[in-house]
Amino acid sequence: MIKLLLKRLGQGVLVIFVLQTITFFLVRLLPGNPFLGERKLPEHIMAQLNSLYGLDQSALVQYANYWKGILFCGDFGPSLVREGVQVADIIAQAFPVSFWLGVLGMGIAIVLGIPAGMMAAYFRNRWPDALFMLLAMAGICIPAFVIAPLFGLTLGLHVPGLSVAGWDDPLCAVLPALTLGLINAAYIARLTRGGMVEVLSADFIRTARAKGVRAGRLLFVHALRSGLLPAVSYLGPAFAALITGSFVVETCFQVPGMGLHFVNATTDRDYFLIQGLVFCYGVLIVIANLAVDLVLVALNPRLRSQGAA
Amino acid sequence: MSLTHCALARRWGYGRMERVKLLPSICVSLAALLLAGCGDSRSSADKAAEQGILIVGNNQEPLSLDPHKATAVADGKIIAALLEGLVRPDAKDETIIHPGMAERWEHNDRASEWTFYLREAQWSDGRPVTAHDFVYAYKRLLHPQFGGKYAEMLYPISGAEAFNKGELDWSQVGVKALDDRTLQLRLAGPTPHLLHLLLHFTWCPVPAHAVEAHGGMLDRRSLWSRVGNWVGNGAYVLESHHFNDYLFVAANPRYWRAAEVKNRGIRFLPIVNGYTETRMFADGKLHISNNVPPELLARTRLNSETYCQDPYYCTIFYRLNTTRKPLDDVRVRRALSLAIDRESLVNDVVRGAGRVASCFTPPGAGYDSSFTYAPREVQVELARKLLAEAGYPGGKGFPTIEIMTTSRDVQRIMAETIQSMWQKVLGIHAEIRACEWTAYKAAQQNGDYDVSSSSWSGDYLDPATFVELWRSGGGNNCTGWGCPDFDAALAEARSAWSAEARRAHLHRAENIMLGAQPIIPLYWSERTYLKDARVRGWYPLMLDNHPLDAVEVTP
Repeated sequence: MIKLLLKRLGQGVLVIFVLQTITFFLVRLLPGNPFLGERKLPEHIMAQLNSLYGLDQSALVQYANYWKGILFCGDFGPSLVREGVQVADIIAQAFPVSFWLGVLGMGIAIVLGIPAGMMAAYFRNRWPDALFMLLAMAGICIPAFVIAPLFGLTLGLHVPGLSVAGWDDPLCAVLPALTLGLINAAYIARLTRGGMVEVLSADFIRTARAKGVRAGRLLFVHALRSGLLPAVSYLGPAFAALITGSFVVETCFQVPGMGLHFVNATTDRDYFLIQGLVFCYGVLIVIANLAVDLVLVALNPRLRSQGAA
Repeated sequence: MSLTHCALARRWGYGRMERVKLLPSICVSLAALLLAGCGDSRSSADKAAEQGILIVGNNQEPLSLDPHKATAVADGKIIAALLEGLVRPDAKDETIIHPGMAERWEHNDRASEWTFYLREAQWSDGRPVTAHDFVYAYKRLLHPQFGGKYAEMLYPISGAEAFNKGELDWSQVGVKALDDRTLQLRLAGPTPHLLHLLLHFTWCPVPAHAVEAHGGMLDRRSLWSRVGNWVGNGAYVLESHHFNDYLFVAANPRYWRAAEVKNRGIRFLPIVNGYTETRMFADGKLHISNNVPPELLARTRLNSETYCQDPYYCTIFYRLNTTRKPLDDVRVRRALSLAIDRESLVNDVVRGAGRVASCFTPPGAGYDSSFTYAPREVQVELARKLLAEAGYPGGKGFPTIEIMTTSRDVQRIMAETIQSMWQKVLGIHAEIRACEWTAYKAAQQNGDYDVSSSSWSGDYLDPATFVELWRSGGGNNCTGWGCPDFDAALAEARSAWSAEARRAHLHRAENIMLGAQPIIPLYWSERTYLKDARVRGWYPLMLDNHPLDAVEVTP
């Protein structure tokens, strides 16, 4: 187990290193630079700005300086567009917002998706199956930029307490979380159904039934454990993606989370901010995948024996 | 147990049990979630109005509040609330200018030497505002080692441009504090419109002591303009700032007109998306929105109590790259311009949120073009004739040209409309390239385009802010066009003493430019936004520089 953990951590560090390196050089290949304004800057001013932030040095020197900053000072550098603001400050403000919204969204996704998937599997090829899978397919197909304004215009405007957008009240989180939750619930429902259908037709379930095990116990104790495996594998990356923010949902609901920064930093060519956000996202993906691996080992005895070996 | 029994049990027995347990619990929890907030039915705008706080949509997240680093319109609106320059604008009439930090002023006959006498005023930390703060501010923005992006706004000062380029010593620049409360400006030439320039945030003072305390004059990473460190002399002080959420400024008790400030604070919301903003307005989240997208105009216009449409000092136009074939031929450029049905653009693309532009500079500030377009049929005929004269009768042999736009919907739709007009009238084919913002700016500034969908909004209320754009080799020209006659007319305008003579020279310059057609003026934009009926003291202003301290919101 510890060996597995160490191995995965080692892989994770490598992944983040490669991710940062690729991002570093890729963002510098984009046309334009962070100081391009609506008005063209005189060359002496552009040169001054470039030298201030070390962008006049060769890419390799910049790259070395970047890692030096992170490893020795824990410094992600300044924002190049929002001068006077550190990348770390921006992430520190935006991450908690996206994190809690993501947790809420994931909670909704799990609470709706897993039971829906289980019921669909249980009533396979009957109307509840068709109904839930139809809804799930709709959830997958209808993009967030349609669902979000629809929620805003229907629930947001007409249900007292709920708000169409903004972040000035705790209940502002309801609609964005619901949008994120429903989209993910759709995926989870389909994956859960797939897993459960397979398990419910397995020999050990038939044996349990033959022995007279009651339906609830059969479903929740015997079948769910294996039936959830596909959904759990999906949950890790999905959770990481959720808590790092969704640009569409954040724009539609005016949520001050990470997703907006991600897209704005890219269009503004805010090199250091992009790097910082990618770093953050990478670390979360690695952690989430590690957690999923551990949960899968706990759920699946076969993996446990492999891990021990 | 037989398999049949198993299947039946699956269908009825256990299934019913699951249905009973799961569905209601989900419904109950959802209903609880939805009803949780029913206690207080007042909206954010209601609550803010009760506290005397104004909530304003501000288009985008401010990038900097330091007047020497900021360039965006959204930043400028916040800075105008936080800092006050020598003069201040009127809430109703943009041609009226009130004394600000300067109590009074005088200038010589040529309007090239101005002396400003400052009033007794304080920074928000209690220190006096002196003429030295102005000198410090101008030196900072112009300093060659600071890299101020908007330094050219101060170029009317004698020697400013040379100092900014590192060619001159500061002592030779025309800014001097004669004593603590007297500021003298020596200008490069007659500048009868100086007071209008002074309204721009780049002419505001900065608190020298606060800037020095946070890294000094030349430190671009200085934190003096952040929450907690902020010191200002405007009607408001910076209270809090949450990125992409809101920025709050509270009334400044040390402001010299503190008693006349009509509200207790302003919350600026950085809402980029016009659809989201319009929904938020409908939900009572803000008092004044920034922009209604064209698609929503028909609906929002129905409520005349909240809908506003004001003239805006802004022109929407197409830049033509005159260094490329076939656009290097003035006949081709004129044909392209004549083939466009501007009425249709205004009515169908922006749904009435604009006026057909008969020239580049929007009317205003005593400047009005007398030019009008010929009837559509005459224009079409002339366009075809010009294209034939240029060697492309009926568009035959005309190479494909490319219209570059940003990724904004309205620009893309406009490009598609113009593409079809050119096809129909001239028989030529244009392609559309939609770029994201930075790539668009880079391509335009490097001259890597054929036709570029552009816009320009004035920095100050004077035609020079538009006409100056087209001087040969100017940083924002980007068309490759230049003309000695035009430059000469501009130079004459710069040395004209009287406002009338200036306008006449600018008019002549503009006509020279329009004759050569390096650009195609399309329409003068109008601002469409929503305003809560409880808001008082807000009037249509062409520059959209509303002194927010004069705006009141009643509960």
